[in-house]
Amino acid sequence: MRYYPQPMGKLIAELGKLPGIGPKTAQRLAFYILGMDEAAVKELSNAMLEAKEMINYCSICNNLTEAELCAYCSADDRDKSIICVVESPKDVIAMEKTGEFHGLYHVLHGAISPMDGIGPAEIRIKNLLPRIQEGVQEVIVATDPNVEGDVTAMYLARLLKPLGVKVTRIAHGLPVGGDLEYADEVTLSKALEGRREI
Amino acid sequence: MFVSKINLVNYRNLNRVLLDLSPNLNILAGDNGQGKTNLLESLYLMATTSSHRTNIDKDLINWEKDKAWINVLVEKKNYNTKLSMILEGSKKKFMINNTPLERKYEFLGNLNVVLFSPEDLYLVKGGPSYRRDFINTELSQVSNYYSKLLSEYNHILQQRNNLLKNIRDYGNKNYDVLDILDEKLVSTGTKIIEKRLEVIEKLQILARLNQRRITNGSENLILNYECSIGRGLDNIEVIFRKELEDNRDEEIRKGYSLFGPHRDDIIFKVNGIDIRKYGSQGQQRTTALALKRAELQFMKSETGEYPDLILDDFFLELDEGRKNTLIEIIADSIQTIITTTDINILDNFKNSNYKIFEVKKGDITLRGGF
Repeated sequence: MRYYPQPMGKLIAELGKLPGIGPKTAQRLAFYILGMDEAAVKELSNAMLEAKEMINYCSICNNLTEAELCAYCSADDRDKSIICVVESPKDVIAMEKTGEFHGLYHVLHGAISPMDGIGPAEIRIKNLLPRIQEGVQEVIVATDPNVEGDVTAMYLARLLKPLGVKVTRIAHGLPVGGDLEYADEVTLSKALEGRREI
Repeated sequence: MFVSKINLVNYRNLNRVLLDLSPNLNILAGDNGQGKTNLLESLYLMATTSSHRTNIDKDLINWEKDKAWINVLVEKKNYNTKLSMILEGSKKKFMINNTPLERKYEFLGNLNVVLFSPEDLYLVKGGPSYRRDFINTELSQVSNYYSKLLSEYNHILQQRNNLLKNIRDYGNKNYDVLDILDEKLVSTGTKIIEKRLEVIEKLQILARLNQRRITNGSENLILNYECSIGRGLDNIEVIFRKELEDNRDEEIRKGYSLFGPHRDDIIFKVNGIDIRKYGSQGQQRTTALALKRAELQFMKSETGEYPDLILDDFFLELDEGRKNTLIEIIADSIQTIITTTDINILDNFKNSNYKIFEVKKGDITLRGGF
């Protein structure tokens, strides 16, 4: 980056390592940061450091938290008989936004994918097992509807069913409010597979 | 169905092309290396979302530019559709009537194309992958569902091959994950095999008839699906699963998947002889032509409209019998686009409406027609 003074080049390079940020966006952000008040820049860098230092993983469910336990594991009003297994903390937020789920979570931080070198031991399944005990009646597997998510779901089902717990997979199919005629064949056939009696 | 307009920007050596095509016959004439095949390729690309000449999408963009566009206007019986593709780096974006699409599956099926080229011969005498590609391209054009199944299958296969290798080379012990991948391979693979069997059944009837017509009834063509999981295909799923169970050690030793639709083939027999291996060059050409014609007829029966017929230098190596068949095929079709270095092929089409274009150094100009 010989076009820029060295500290500027470094900033652009660092920003460019973030997901979704290409060289041009990195450059734009860097120029914007240069134009900000010194106080605002300090605020930003402190916020980043603080988040990194203070946030860790819940010792029960691996969700993000600033305490020992996350907000869901430490709450009294959650239904402790249902555990929803998701791939990432972002999925917890998505589930919470529905307002329909009041149970507990378990965050795997990934999905089984041999070609990326990720097997069952590389995602956080180990601390799910001790959680399946008296009182837990159902485990809902809400991994992504792709090959890796499906493999992870099937793996969990095989692992957990012998423990006498009900294991379910969230349905995939038609979007709500959509028209049947506009659904693509693939989605429609998935929806057909997952039909249920009314 | 026909393409009434095609517009290319920065596509290979065709920097700026806007053509009004004839709904009947279009002839692209010019010396070698001027860009004739590039235009055909762009149509094939719009129909199948991949080129028949390269897997590297970046090659499709003019080497001095970083973005290319293709727009075509497809006219069907009752309506027109504008299809657009934007190529940037190794990414493709798809649009229908200026609306961006999220998935390429939604793009497929709007334009159907059948390509005849001298390489069709490999369909008969080449390796099994040519025949799998043939059946895959076929089915993908008429069934989005198949195209999605296929990409899912390939993804599972990639995961499974990786795991087999890891077990072999690095002492990975995830046999339970392998069990699950087996199950997924079987369920997706079975659907693919079933779809293929269905299509081969239909193609076989058509191709057989075509072969008899080209050879005045002297050659009987039979198509058989050769399945890597064995012969009895009454209960594919069960046999497939058992095959994987029985051969697990072998697959681990090899480090890749030995069974499934990705290892299958189609056998062509003429008068009882496997002509992939033992046929004469002439027989192989006849069979390739019979198959391509069957492909055309199959698409017509599946979609209700004749696909676009595109021919790349096809007249070069045909004898009289096959040439007559080809002329018959063109007469049957709606729109045909031919490339040639030899303008004399026009003599074959005295009675049709045509437009003739000259292709020179990436420029295409209308030179006449009637």
